[in-house]
Amino acid sequence: MTRMTKILTLSALALALGACSNIERSRNLGNPQVSGYTLAQQVCSTCHGGNGITANGTSINPTYPNLAGQQAIYLETELQEFHDHTRKDPAARDMMWGLASQLTPEQIKGLSEFYAHQKPMPNPAHSDPAMVAAGEKLFVAGVPEKSVPACASCHGASAEGNGPIPRLAGQHADYLYKQMVSFNSDAGRETHPEALERPHAVVMDAISHGLSNEQQLQVAAYLQSLQ
Amino acid sequence: MPLHRIIMKFYAGSAMLAVLLALIPTSASAIPLYARQTGQGCISCHLGGMYPQLTTYGRLFKLTGYTMGTRPDLSELEVQKDAPPISIWLQSARQYYTNVPNGSGPAPGSSMNVQAVSLFAGGKITDNIGAFLQWTGANASGAFNSSVDNSEIRYADRIMQADSDLIYGFYINNHPTVSDVWNSTVNWSGNFMGFFNGGTAPVQSPFIDSYSPGSSVGAGAYLYKDNTWYAEAGVYKSITHGAGSVYLTSGASGTTLIDPSPYYRLAYTKDLGPHSFELGLHGMVSYAHNATAASGGVSDWGGTINTYRDVGIDGQYQYNLDPHYFSVHGRFVHESASFAGDQVGVLTTNPSNTLNETYLDASYVYRAKYGAMLIYRATTGSTDATLYATNTASGSPDWKSWTPEIFWTPWSNVRVGYQYVIYTQMAGATGTIPGQALSPHDFNTSMLYASFIY
Repeated sequence: MTRMTKILTLSALALALGACSNIERSRNLGNPQVSGYTLAQQVCSTCHGGNGITANGTSINPTYPNLAGQQAIYLETELQEFHDHTRKDPAARDMMWGLASQLTPEQIKGLSEFYAHQKPMPNPAHSDPAMVAAGEKLFVAGVPEKSVPACASCHGASAEGNGPIPRLAGQHADYLYKQMVSFNSDAGRETHPEALERPHAVVMDAISHGLSNEQQLQVAAYLQSLQ
Repeated sequence: MPLHRIIMKFYAGSAMLAVLLALIPTSASAIPLYARQTGQGCISCHLGGMYPQLTTYGRLFKLTGYTMGTRPDLSELEVQKDAPPISIWLQSARQYYTNVPNGSGPAPGSSMNVQAVSLFAGGKITDNIGAFLQWTGANASGAFNSSVDNSEIRYADRIMQADSDLIYGFYINNHPTVSDVWNSTVNWSGNFMGFFNGGTAPVQSPFIDSYSPGSSVGAGAYLYKDNTWYAEAGVYKSITHGAGSVYLTSGASGTTLIDPSPYYRLAYTKDLGPHSFELGLHGMVSYAHNATAASGGVSDWGGTINTYRDVGIDGQYQYNLDPHYFSVHGRFVHESASFAGDQVGVLTTNPSNTLNETYLDASYVYRAKYGAMLIYRATTGSTDATLYATNTASGSPDWKSWTPEIFWTPWSNVRVGYQYVIYTQMAGATGTIPGQALSPHDFNTSMLYASFIY
């Protein structure tokens, strides 16, 4: 047997062994038997952070939100929206619709509980102190003349969230800003709320309309700096 | 043909593509193979949608063996609803040459038409095994040739523990650097738009760049620890095929035969916010027989052996945060070649030569729609009057080129672009090339292209 034949034989053997796959380490999004925990480790961690990268649910690239310590009910709602294709912001369409399309209710619950129980980490990104200070004012007091309530009144004094209202503390400023842009997506909002990019966040549609672009960036910078 | 007519034809072609796209049922995502497997858009895995450049996620998708997602159940595919796990890619182009490679005869021309077609298959096979299989047909020099293109099958596993993340895997593929995930080695660097009609300028590259898909078969293993350290080792060898083999192409006769030759790669990677860095070392020692495949493609493993030792450093920087996507890739490869005694005075003048390759590219895409790219390539090396005699009298392998390009991606699976290859040095000369009446700029080539992938 030549060296090459040996190598090929061994490789074929390795491939054959692969047929006996381990469901604890599966990346199969179409198998309802794979647990939410396994999917979090094998698939979600690729963007949202996992062991050996940072910590579970703490993402590096601001395109992907931090999930550690997020409210379980909120996560469940969002995963269901990705599954049903009702949350329609561009990143959701490109990245989450497909991944979530075959998740079972059990998997969605498992994933939500897993991330809700992870310890949130401080966001290492730098935020301009002036932006943070301006954002804090908006967070605490809102913009009364524009009927924008204080963010803290729903999201909590530490932006920790509450049930269906998401935790915002330590979230990436870029992600938060893009969500505010999404809340503002205009198409047919008066007559067709389902046309909103994030129809479940219809409350935020009205609120974020009262914030200028600069104010949206300021409040995002403040929230990113929170621990 | 006058420019306005070319533009009109080009618009007509683009309009046809638009009509085709409009006819595609909306229930089927207008996206290819892996996108169907994961349900994700191109920009998830490709930086700003700029295939073949991979994002951090795209790299992990490949390193975990193309197994993320769902395997389509072929027995339950619904016509008009589910797409089968295959993709097609068409490259339509019109190319403009200033001259022919050897400086004689009329410059080759081409009209705006489809010049290359690729079919892709593969994706998830089991939870640990996946594949990337490409077949390409192109009209080269007036004859349509089709052959197996970049192809590999991977086995991969990922072990996550409380404080560690280990991806390991094995692959079988059909030429070195197909396994690359940073687009910094030869196979996946650049814009992936090829000149298919009329050949290219006489330029030299290290031996590692010369392997064509299907010319060899290789097996390798790799590790990726904590998304930080990467190590890979593989071995490649020519395919032993006989007349009648489906692998036999018109190029098989005369193909250099390669004894088992090792390939290796080490890399350090780091992601910080939207930034992603890679710095690595790669190399290959190639043992090439001097007796080539005989007529009819029946392999002849005789003859003495030349040895090519290629060692390269390579790097990548990416910025990945919509609406801005930016990347830089580069490599510097040093080759030291030793030729068998019976080749000195026949194939070469010197018993050994060196060759240094520098490759750099930078690209930017705005909103995954409007992009520009600049590629710089340069090679320097020892002078060898016999080895480099084909097109020059100087015996110098030194050359330099710049390739600016602009492109537009109106939909994620359509790219329209214009690229221009500008040669500033050839055969060591920046002016008239010794022994020829031509200068480097006489080999400049440009191309208007449309790429469609479904």
